[in-house]
Amino acid sequence: MNLDWNIVWDHRAELLDGALLTVLLTVLTMVVAVPVGIVLALMRLSKSRVLAGASQAYVEFFRNLPLILVVYWAFYVMPVLLHIQFSAFTTGLVALCLNVSAYNAETFRAGINSIRKGQTEAAIAVGMSRWQAMKKVVIPQAWRRVLPVLASTWVSLFKDTSLVSVIAVGELAHVALQIRSSSFRVLEMLTAMAVIYWLMGYPQAKLVDWIQKRFEVKE
Amino acid sequence: MTTRSERKSASQAPVVVYDKVRKLYGSFVALDGVSVQVNKGEVMCLIGPSGSGKSTLLRCTNALEAIDGGRVLIDGVPLPTDEREARKVRQRMGMVFQNFELFPHKNALDNVAIGPVTVLGMSETKARERAMKLLEKVGLADKAHNFPSGLSGGQQQRVAIARALAMEPEVMLFDEPTSALDPETIGEVLNVMKKLADEGMTMVVVTHEMAFARSVADWVVVFDHGKVVEQGPPRQIFEAPTAERTRDFLGHLGWHG
Repeated sequence: MNLDWNIVWDHRAELLDGALLTVLLTVLTMVVAVPVGIVLALMRLSKSRVLAGASQAYVEFFRNLPLILVVYWAFYVMPVLLHIQFSAFTTGLVALCLNVSAYNAETFRAGINSIRKGQTEAAIAVGMSRWQAMKKVVIPQAWRRVLPVLASTWVSLFKDTSLVSVIAVGELAHVALQIRSSSFRVLEMLTAMAVIYWLMGYPQAKLVDWIQKRFEVKE
Repeated sequence: MTTRSERKSASQAPVVVYDKVRKLYGSFVALDGVSVQVNKGEVMCLIGPSGSGKSTLLRCTNALEAIDGGRVLIDGVPLPTDEREARKVRQRMGMVFQNFELFPHKNALDNVAIGPVTVLGMSETKARERAMKLLEKVGLADKAHNFPSGLSGGQQQRVAIARALAMEPEVMLFDEPTSALDPETIGEVLNVMKKLADEGMTMVVVTHEMAFARSVADWVVVFDHGKVVEQGPPRQIFEAPTAERTRDFLGHLGWHG
Protein backbone atom coordinates (compact mmCIF):
# COMPACT_ATOMS: atom_id res chain seq x y z
CA MET A 1 0.00 0.00 0.00
CA ASN A 2 1.15 3.46 -0.81
CA LEU A 3 0.84 5.74 2.20
CA ASP A 4 1.48 9.46 2.16
CA TRP A 5 1.66 10.93 5.64
CA ASN A 6 2.79 14.29 4.28
CA ILE A 7 -0.86 15.05 3.65
CA VAL A 8 -1.33 15.48 7.39
CA TRP A 9 1.63 17.81 7.78
CA ASP A 10 0.61 19.80 4.71
CA HIS A 11 -2.76 20.54 6.26
CA ARG A 12 -1.48 21.22 9.77
CA ALA A 13 -2.82 24.77 9.86
CA GLU A 14 -6.38 23.71 8.99
CA LEU A 15 -6.24 20.80 11.43
CA LEU A 16 -5.05 23.13 14.19
CA ASP A 17 -7.89 25.54 13.46
CA GLY A 18 -10.32 22.62 13.57
CA ALA A 19 -8.93 21.42 16.86
CA LEU A 20 -9.23 24.93 18.33
CA LEU A 21 -12.84 25.14 17.17
CA THR A 22 -13.53 21.77 18.81
CA VAL A 23 -12.17 23.11 22.09
CA LEU A 24 -14.12 26.35 21.66
CA LEU A 25 -17.36 24.43 21.02
CA THR A 26 -16.79 22.32 24.14
CA VAL A 27 -16.03 25.32 26.35
CA LEU A 28 -18.91 27.45 25.05
CA THR A 29 -21.38 24.57 25.36
CA MET A 30 -20.42 24.03 29.00
CA VAL A 31 -20.46 27.77 29.75
CA VAL A 32 -24.09 27.82 28.64
CA ALA A 33 -25.19 24.36 29.75
CA VAL A 34 -23.99 24.61 33.37
CA PRO A 35 -26.11 27.64 34.35
CA VAL A 36 -29.04 26.41 32.23
CA GLY A 37 -28.72 23.01 33.92
CA ILE A 38 -28.81 24.67 37.36
CA VAL A 39 -31.90 26.67 36.44
CA LEU A 40 -33.63 23.56 35.06
CA ALA A 41 -32.76 21.61 38.22
CA LEU A 42 -34.09 24.38 40.48
CA MET A 43 -37.27 24.55 38.38
CA ARG A 44 -37.67 20.80 38.72
CA LEU A 45 -37.24 21.00 42.50
CA SER A 46 -39.49 24.05 42.94
CA LYS A 47 -42.96 23.83 44.38
CA SER A 48 -44.51 25.16 41.18
CA ARG A 49 -45.97 22.30 39.17
CA VAL A 50 -45.79 24.30 35.97
CA LEU A 51 -42.06 24.98 36.36
CA ALA A 52 -41.31 21.44 37.49
CA GLY A 53 -43.35 19.97 34.63
CA ALA A 54 -41.75 22.21 32.01
CA SER A 55 -38.29 21.29 33.25
CA GLN A 56 -39.05 17.59 33.31
CA ALA A 57 -40.54 17.68 29.81
CA TYR A 58 -37.45 19.46 28.50
CA VAL A 59 -35.05 17.03 30.13
CA GLU A 60 -36.91 13.90 29.06
CA PHE A 61 -37.24 15.23 25.52
CA PHE A 62 -33.61 16.06 24.86
CA ARG A 63 -32.12 13.27 26.92
CA ASN A 64 -33.87 10.67 24.83
CA LEU A 65 -33.18 12.04 21.36
CA PRO A 66 -29.98 11.15 19.49
CA LEU A 67 -27.74 14.20 19.47
CA ILE A 68 -27.19 13.96 15.73
CA LEU A 69 -30.93 14.25 15.19
CA VAL A 70 -31.01 17.42 17.29
CA VAL A 71 -28.15 18.80 15.22
CA TYR A 72 -30.02 18.12 11.97
CA TRP A 73 -33.22 19.48 13.46
CA ALA A 74 -31.55 22.72 14.54
CA PHE A 75 -30.06 23.11 11.07
CA TYR A 76 -33.02 22.21 8.85
CA VAL A 77 -36.21 22.50 10.90
CA MET A 78 -35.55 25.35 13.36
CA PRO A 79 -35.16 28.00 10.63
CA VAL A 80 -38.44 26.93 9.01
CA LEU A 81 -40.43 26.34 12.16
CA LEU A 82 -39.17 29.16 14.39
CA HIS A 83 -37.80 31.50 11.74
CA ILE A 84 -34.47 31.57 13.51
CA GLN A 85 -31.44 31.23 11.33
CA PHE A 86 -27.91 31.08 12.69
CA SER A 87 -24.53 30.35 11.23
CA ALA A 88 -23.58 26.69 11.13
CA PHE A 89 -21.32 27.20 14.17
CA THR A 90 -24.05 28.79 16.29
CA THR A 91 -26.57 26.19 15.14
CA GLY A 92 -24.21 23.41 16.22
CA LEU A 93 -23.64 25.18 19.51
CA VAL A 94 -27.40 25.47 20.10
CA ALA A 95 -27.89 21.75 19.43
CA LEU A 96 -25.07 20.79 21.80
CA CYS A 97 -26.41 23.14 24.51
CA LEU A 98 -29.93 21.72 24.22
CA ASN A 99 -28.57 18.22 24.73
CA VAL A 100 -25.96 18.86 27.43
CA SER A 101 -28.26 21.18 29.46
CA ALA A 102 -30.66 18.25 29.83
CA TYR A 103 -27.89 16.01 31.17
CA ASN A 104 -26.54 18.75 33.44
CA ALA A 105 -30.03 19.37 34.83
CA GLU A 106 -30.20 15.74 35.94
CA THR A 107 -26.69 15.93 37.38
CA PHE A 108 -27.54 19.01 39.45
CA ARG A 109 -30.87 17.60 40.55
CA ALA A 110 -29.23 14.42 41.79
CA GLY A 111 -26.51 16.45 43.53
CA ILE A 112 -29.00 18.71 45.30
CA ASN A 113 -31.21 15.76 46.27
CA SER A 114 -28.22 13.96 47.75
CA ILE A 115 -27.94 16.63 50.47
CA ARG A 116 -29.92 15.62 53.57
CA LYS A 117 -33.22 17.39 54.16
CA GLY A 118 -32.03 18.22 57.68
CA GLN A 119 -29.45 20.60 56.22
CA THR A 120 -32.15 22.72 54.60
CA GLU A 121 -34.22 22.56 57.78
CA ALA A 122 -31.27 23.71 59.87
CA ALA A 123 -30.75 26.66 57.54
CA ILE A 124 -34.44 27.54 57.60
CA ALA A 125 -34.57 27.21 61.38
CA VAL A 126 -31.80 29.83 61.59
CA GLY A 127 -34.15 32.14 59.70
CA MET A 128 -32.94 31.77 56.11
CA SER A 129 -35.31 31.76 53.17
CA ARG A 130 -35.48 28.64 51.01
CA TRP A 131 -33.40 30.38 48.37
CA GLN A 132 -30.75 31.42 50.92
CA ALA A 133 -30.65 27.85 52.27
CA MET A 134 -30.15 26.59 48.73
CA LYS A 135 -27.43 29.15 47.95
CA LYS A 136 -25.51 29.08 51.25
CA VAL A 137 -25.95 25.50 52.41
CA VAL A 138 -27.19 23.05 49.78
CA ILE A 139 -25.48 24.11 46.56
CA PRO A 140 -21.99 24.51 48.06
CA GLN A 141 -22.23 20.94 49.35
CA ALA A 142 -23.83 19.60 46.17
CA TRP A 143 -20.91 20.96 44.09
CA ARG A 144 -18.53 18.34 45.46
CA ARG A 145 -20.83 15.57 44.27
CA VAL A 146 -21.69 17.24 40.99
CA LEU A 147 -18.18 18.14 39.84
CA PRO A 148 -16.96 14.60 39.03
CA VAL A 149 -20.11 13.93 36.98
CA LEU A 150 -19.75 17.24 35.15
CA ALA A 151 -16.16 16.31 34.37
CA SER A 152 -17.28 13.05 32.75
CA THR A 153 -19.91 14.92 30.77
CA TRP A 154 -17.17 17.29 29.63
CA VAL A 155 -15.09 14.46 28.18
CA SER A 156 -18.12 12.95 26.39
CA LEU A 157 -19.03 16.37 25.07
CA PHE A 158 -15.51 16.94 23.76
CA LYS A 159 -15.89 13.88 21.52
CA ASP A 160 -19.55 14.52 20.69
CA THR A 161 -18.75 17.92 19.21
CA SER A 162 -17.61 15.89 16.16
CA LEU A 163 -21.29 15.30 15.39
CA VAL A 164 -21.78 18.91 14.34
CA SER A 165 -19.47 18.18 11.39
CA VAL A 166 -22.61 16.96 9.59
CA ILE A 167 -23.79 20.54 9.22
CA ALA A 168 -20.35 21.71 8.05
CA VAL A 169 -19.11 23.37 11.20
CA GLY A 170 -15.37 23.58 10.64
CA GLU A 171 -14.26 21.75 13.74
CA LEU A 172 -11.64 19.00 13.83
CA ALA A 173 -13.79 16.14 12.47
CA HIS A 174 -15.17 18.22 9.64
CA VAL A 175 -11.77 19.55 8.62
CA ALA A 176 -10.23 16.08 8.67
CA LEU A 177 -13.08 14.56 6.70
CA GLN A 178 -12.93 17.37 4.14
CA ILE A 179 -9.23 16.78 3.56
CA ARG A 180 -9.95 13.09 3.26
CA SER A 181 -12.56 13.58 0.51
CA SER A 182 -10.48 16.02 -1.49
CA SER A 183 -7.26 14.02 -1.26
CA PHE A 184 -8.68 10.47 -1.08
CA ARG A 185 -6.16 9.81 1.73
CA VAL A 186 -8.69 7.97 3.86
CA LEU A 187 -6.43 5.90 6.07
CA GLU A 188 -4.00 8.71 6.77
CA MET A 189 -6.63 11.30 7.61
CA LEU A 190 -8.76 9.01 9.79
CA THR A 191 -5.64 7.91 11.65
CA ALA A 192 -4.50 11.49 12.11
CA MET A 193 -7.96 12.44 13.34
CA ALA A 194 -7.94 9.58 15.84
CA VAL A 195 -4.47 10.50 17.10
CA ILE A 196 -5.35 14.18 17.54
CA TYR A 197 -8.63 13.43 19.35
CA TRP A 198 -6.90 10.89 21.57
CA LEU A 199 -3.97 13.15 22.42
CA MET A 200 -6.38 15.93 23.38
CA GLY A 201 -8.87 13.66 25.14
CA TYR A 202 -6.47 11.59 27.22
CA PRO A 203 -5.20 14.42 29.47
CA GLN A 204 -8.79 15.52 30.02
CA ALA A 205 -9.80 12.01 31.04
CA LYS A 206 -6.85 11.89 33.46
CA LEU A 207 -7.93 15.24 34.87
CA VAL A 208 -11.41 13.80 35.42
CA ASP A 209 -9.90 10.84 37.30
CA TRP A 210 -8.00 13.29 39.49
CA ILE A 211 -11.11 15.39 40.14
CA GLN A 212 -13.08 12.28 41.05
CA LYS A 213 -10.45 11.25 43.57
CA ARG A 214 -10.02 14.75 44.92
CA PHE A 215 -13.73 15.36 45.46
CA GLU A 216 -14.70 11.90 46.56
CA VAL A 217 -17.33 12.31 49.25
CA LYS A 218 -16.45 10.58 52.45
CA GLU A 219 -19.19 10.27 55.02
CA MET B 1 -51.98 17.33 94.41
CA THR B 2 -49.95 19.89 92.57
CA THR B 3 -51.83 22.65 90.92
CA ARG B 4 -51.00 24.94 88.10
CA SER B 5 -50.40 27.85 90.45
CA GLU B 6 -47.23 26.13 91.65
CA ARG B 7 -45.70 26.80 88.29
CA LYS B 8 -42.56 28.84 88.90
CA SER B 9 -43.25 31.55 86.40
CA ALA B 10 -47.02 31.44 86.23
CA SER B 11 -47.02 35.19 86.67
CA GLN B 12 -44.85 35.55 83.58
CA ALA B 13 -46.44 35.99 80.19
CA PRO B 14 -46.69 32.85 78.09
CA VAL B 15 -44.17 32.88 75.21
CA VAL B 16 -45.55 29.92 73.29
CA VAL B 17 -49.12 28.73 73.60
CA TYR B 18 -50.30 25.57 71.84
CA ASP B 19 -54.07 25.60 71.64
CA LYS B 20 -55.79 22.34 70.58
CA VAL B 21 -53.08 21.73 67.97
CA ARG B 22 -53.82 19.04 65.39
CA LYS B 23 -51.38 17.65 62.87
CA LEU B 24 -52.04 14.95 60.32
CA TYR B 25 -49.70 12.96 58.10
CA GLY B 26 -52.14 11.59 55.57
CA SER B 27 -54.64 9.75 57.74
CA PHE B 28 -52.20 9.38 60.65
CA VAL B 29 -53.01 11.74 63.52
CA ALA B 30 -49.64 12.95 64.79
CA LEU B 31 -51.06 15.55 67.17
CA ASP B 32 -54.58 15.26 68.46
CA GLY B 33 -55.69 18.45 70.18
CA VAL B 34 -52.57 19.34 72.14
CA SER B 35 -52.88 22.29 74.54
CA VAL B 36 -49.85 23.35 76.56
CA GLN B 37 -47.97 26.56 77.13
CA VAL B 38 -44.44 27.75 77.90
CA ASN B 39 -43.98 30.80 80.07
CA LYS B 40 -41.11 33.23 79.85
CA GLY B 41 -37.91 31.89 81.38
CA GLU B 42 -39.32 28.41 81.76
CA VAL B 43 -37.92 25.07 80.67
CA MET B 44 -40.59 22.73 79.37
CA CYS B 45 -39.64 19.11 78.73
CA LEU B 46 -41.68 16.94 76.39
CA ILE B 47 -41.38 13.25 77.19
CA GLY B 48 -43.07 10.07 76.03
CA PRO B 49 -42.50 7.08 73.77
CA SER B 50 -41.09 7.42 70.24
CA GLY B 51 -43.68 8.50 67.70
CA SER B 52 -45.95 10.02 70.33
CA GLY B 53 -45.85 13.49 68.76
CA LYS B 54 -43.26 15.36 70.87
CA SER B 55 -40.93 16.19 68.00
CA THR B 56 -43.84 17.04 65.74
CA LEU B 57 -45.08 19.62 68.25
CA LEU B 58 -41.60 21.12 68.40
CA ARG B 59 -41.43 21.34 64.60
CA CYS B 60 -44.81 23.05 64.55
CA THR B 61 -43.46 25.73 66.91
CA ASN B 62 -41.27 27.34 64.26
CA ALA B 63 -43.47 26.36 61.32
CA LEU B 64 -41.09 23.73 59.96
CA GLU B 65 -44.36 21.81 59.83
CA ALA B 66 -47.73 23.43 59.20
CA ILE B 67 -50.53 22.57 61.60
CA ASP B 68 -53.88 21.22 60.46
CA GLY B 69 -55.99 22.53 63.31
CA GLY B 70 -55.87 24.63 66.46
CA ARG B 71 -53.42 27.48 67.01
CA VAL B 72 -49.82 28.09 67.95
CA LEU B 73 -49.39 31.54 69.49
CA ILE B 74 -46.00 33.19 69.83
CA ASP B 75 -46.16 36.13 72.26
CA GLY B 76 -49.91 36.04 71.76
CA VAL B 77 -49.75 36.23 67.97
CA PRO B 78 -50.74 33.21 65.84
CA LEU B 79 -47.95 31.70 63.75
CA PRO B 80 -48.22 33.25 60.31
CA THR B 81 -48.91 30.93 57.38
CA ASP B 82 -47.19 33.33 55.00
CA GLU B 83 -43.63 32.10 54.44
CA ARG B 84 -42.07 35.56 54.66
CA GLU B 85 -43.79 36.31 57.97
CA ALA B 86 -43.02 32.85 59.32
CA ARG B 87 -39.34 33.52 58.63
CA LYS B 88 -39.41 36.55 60.94
CA VAL B 89 -40.85 34.43 63.73
CA ARG B 90 -38.25 31.69 63.14
CA GLN B 91 -35.49 34.25 63.56
CA ARG B 92 -36.66 34.71 67.16
CA MET B 93 -36.34 30.98 67.87
CA GLY B 94 -33.28 28.79 67.97
CA MET B 95 -33.49 25.12 67.10
CA VAL B 96 -31.16 22.24 67.91
CA PHE B 97 -31.54 18.96 66.04
CA GLN B 98 -30.94 15.37 67.01
CA ASN B 99 -28.33 14.94 64.25
CA PHE B 100 -26.73 18.37 64.86
CA GLU B 101 -27.03 19.31 61.19
CA LEU B 102 -23.95 21.50 61.27
CA PHE B 103 -22.95 22.73 57.82
CA PRO B 104 -20.02 20.44 56.88
CA HIS B 105 -18.46 22.89 54.40
CA LYS B 106 -17.95 25.55 57.08
CA ASN B 107 -15.78 25.55 60.18
CA ALA B 108 -17.26 25.85 63.67
CA LEU B 109 -16.87 29.63 63.75
CA ASP B 110 -18.58 30.17 60.40
CA ASN B 111 -21.33 27.70 61.29
CA VAL B 112 -22.19 30.01 64.17
CA ALA B 113 -21.70 33.22 62.18
CA ILE B 114 -23.73 32.17 59.12
CA GLY B 115 -27.11 33.16 60.61
CA PRO B 116 -26.24 36.74 61.51
CA VAL B 117 -24.37 37.24 58.20
CA THR B 118 -27.01 35.73 55.92
CA VAL B 119 -30.20 36.62 57.73
CA LEU B 120 -29.37 39.83 59.61
CA GLY B 121 -26.85 41.18 57.10
CA MET B 122 -24.23 41.60 59.81
CA SER B 123 -20.63 42.12 58.66
CA GLU B 124 -18.47 38.99 58.71
CA THR B 125 -16.07 40.53 61.20
CA LYS B 126 -18.81 41.42 63.64
CA ALA B 127 -20.60 38.10 63.20
CA ARG B 128 -17.37 36.19 63.84
CA GLU B 129 -16.79 38.20 67.01
CA ARG B 130 -20.23 37.25 68.21
CA ALA B 131 -19.65 33.64 67.15
CA MET B 132 -16.37 33.50 69.04
CA LYS B 133 -18.05 34.68 72.25
CA LEU B 134 -20.69 32.00 71.87
CA LEU B 135 -18.12 29.29 71.21
CA GLU B 136 -16.40 30.42 74.41
CA LYS B 137 -19.70 30.12 76.20
CA VAL B 138 -20.14 26.49 75.08
CA GLY B 139 -16.49 25.78 75.88
CA LEU B 140 -15.22 25.38 72.32
CA ALA B 141 -13.21 28.53 71.62
CA ASP B 142 -10.17 26.36 70.87
CA LYS B 143 -12.12 24.44 68.20
CA ALA B 144 -13.33 27.52 66.30
CA HIS B 145 -11.42 26.62 63.15
CA ASN B 146 -12.23 22.91 63.17
CA PHE B 147 -14.66 21.60 60.61
CA PRO B 148 -17.59 19.52 61.90
CA SER B 149 -15.93 16.31 60.68
CA GLY B 150 -13.10 17.04 63.12
CA LEU B 151 -15.36 17.39 66.16
CA SER B 152 -16.91 14.77 68.43
CA GLY B 153 -20.69 14.43 68.56
CA GLY B 154 -20.90 16.34 71.81
CA GLN B 155 -18.72 19.13 70.43
CA GLN B 156 -20.80 19.31 67.25
CA GLN B 157 -23.97 19.61 69.27
CA ARG B 158 -22.47 22.40 71.39
CA VAL B 159 -21.53 24.26 68.19
CA ALA B 160 -25.11 23.73 67.01
CA ILE B 161 -26.37 25.31 70.23
CA ALA B 162 -24.04 28.27 69.68
CA ARG B 163 -25.31 28.55 66.09
CA ALA B 164 -28.89 28.78 67.36
CA LEU B 165 -27.91 31.34 70.04
CA ALA B 166 -26.20 33.54 67.45
CA MET B 167 -29.61 34.81 66.36
CA GLU B 168 -30.28 35.90 69.97
CA PRO B 169 -33.50 33.92 70.17
CA GLU B 170 -36.27 34.38 72.72
CA VAL B 171 -36.99 30.66 72.74
CA MET B 172 -34.74 27.64 72.22
CA LEU B 173 -36.19 24.43 70.80
CA PHE B 174 -34.28 21.20 71.40
CA ASP B 175 -35.26 18.09 69.44
CA GLU B 176 -33.74 15.10 71.28
CA PRO B 177 -30.38 16.88 71.48
CA THR B 178 -28.53 13.99 73.11
CA SER B 179 -30.15 10.98 71.41
CA ALA B 180 -27.44 10.63 68.77
CA LEU B 181 -24.55 11.07 71.20
CA ASP B 182 -22.12 8.64 72.77
CA PRO B 183 -22.88 8.28 76.47
CA GLU B 184 -19.65 10.00 77.50
CA THR B 185 -20.45 13.20 75.60
CA ILE B 186 -24.09 13.54 76.70
CA GLY B 187 -23.11 15.29 79.92
CA GLU B 188 -21.23 18.15 78.24
CA VAL B 189 -24.30 19.00 76.13
CA LEU B 190 -26.71 18.76 79.06
CA ASN B 191 -24.42 21.04 81.08
CA VAL B 192 -24.55 23.72 78.40
CA MET B 193 -28.33 23.41 78.32
CA LYS B 194 -28.54 23.65 82.08
CA LYS B 195 -26.41 26.78 82.02
CA LEU B 196 -28.78 28.32 79.47
CA ALA B 197 -31.76 27.44 81.64
CA ASP B 198 -30.08 29.04 84.66
CA GLU B 199 -29.59 32.22 82.63
CA GLY B 200 -33.34 32.36 82.15
CA MET B 201 -33.63 31.16 78.56
CA THR B 202 -37.09 29.95 77.64
CA MET B 203 -36.67 26.37 76.41
CA VAL B 204 -38.77 23.58 74.94
CA VAL B 205 -36.89 20.29 75.13
CA VAL B 206 -37.89 16.96 73.63
CA THR B 207 -35.82 14.44 75.57
CA HIS B 208 -35.39 10.92 76.82
CA GLU B 209 -33.03 12.14 79.56
CA MET B 210 -35.33 11.77 82.54
CA ALA B 211 -32.73 12.91 85.07
CA PHE B 212 -32.34 16.15 83.11
CA ALA B 213 -36.10 16.66 82.90
CA ARG B 214 -36.42 15.92 86.60
CA SER B 215 -33.77 18.43 87.67
CA VAL B 216 -33.96 21.22 85.09
CA ALA B 217 -37.55 21.34 83.80
CA ASP B 218 -40.14 23.65 85.30
CA TRP B 219 -42.90 21.88 83.50
CA VAL B 220 -43.08 18.36 82.09
CA VAL B 221 -45.53 17.19 79.44
CA VAL B 222 -46.10 13.48 78.84
CA PHE B 223 -47.16 12.49 75.34
CA ASP B 224 -48.70 9.32 74.00
CA HIS B 225 -50.35 8.71 70.62
CA GLY B 226 -50.43 12.41 69.76
CA LYS B 227 -52.14 13.41 72.98
CA VAL B 228 -51.02 14.97 76.24
CA VAL B 229 -51.44 12.25 78.84
CA GLU B 230 -50.39 14.37 81.75
CA GLN B 231 -48.58 17.61 82.46
CA GLY B 232 -47.24 19.22 85.58
CA PRO B 233 -44.12 20.18 87.50
CA PRO B 234 -41.44 17.47 87.49
CA ARG B 235 -42.07 16.58 91.13
CA GLN B 236 -45.61 15.55 90.27
CA ILE B 237 -44.74 13.74 87.04
CA PHE B 238 -41.81 11.80 88.42
CA GLU B 239 -42.93 11.18 91.98
CA ALA B 240 -46.68 11.06 91.86
CA PRO B 241 -47.87 10.57 88.29
CA THR B 242 -51.63 10.45 88.12
CA ALA B 243 -51.98 8.84 84.72
CA GLU B 244 -51.54 5.10 84.27
CA ARG B 245 -49.76 5.73 80.97
CA THR B 246 -47.15 7.98 82.65
CA ARG B 247 -46.41 5.28 85.24
CA ASP B 248 -46.05 2.68 82.47
CA PHE B 249 -43.74 4.85 80.45
CA LEU B 250 -41.51 5.81 83.37
CA GLY B 251 -41.53 2.21 84.55
CA HIS B 252 -40.26 1.04 81.15
CA LEU B 253 -37.37 3.45 81.49
CA GLY B 254 -36.60 2.02 84.91
CA TRP B 255 -37.66 5.20 86.68
CA HIS B 256 -39.25 4.52 90.02
CA GLY B 257 -39.75 7.88 91.71
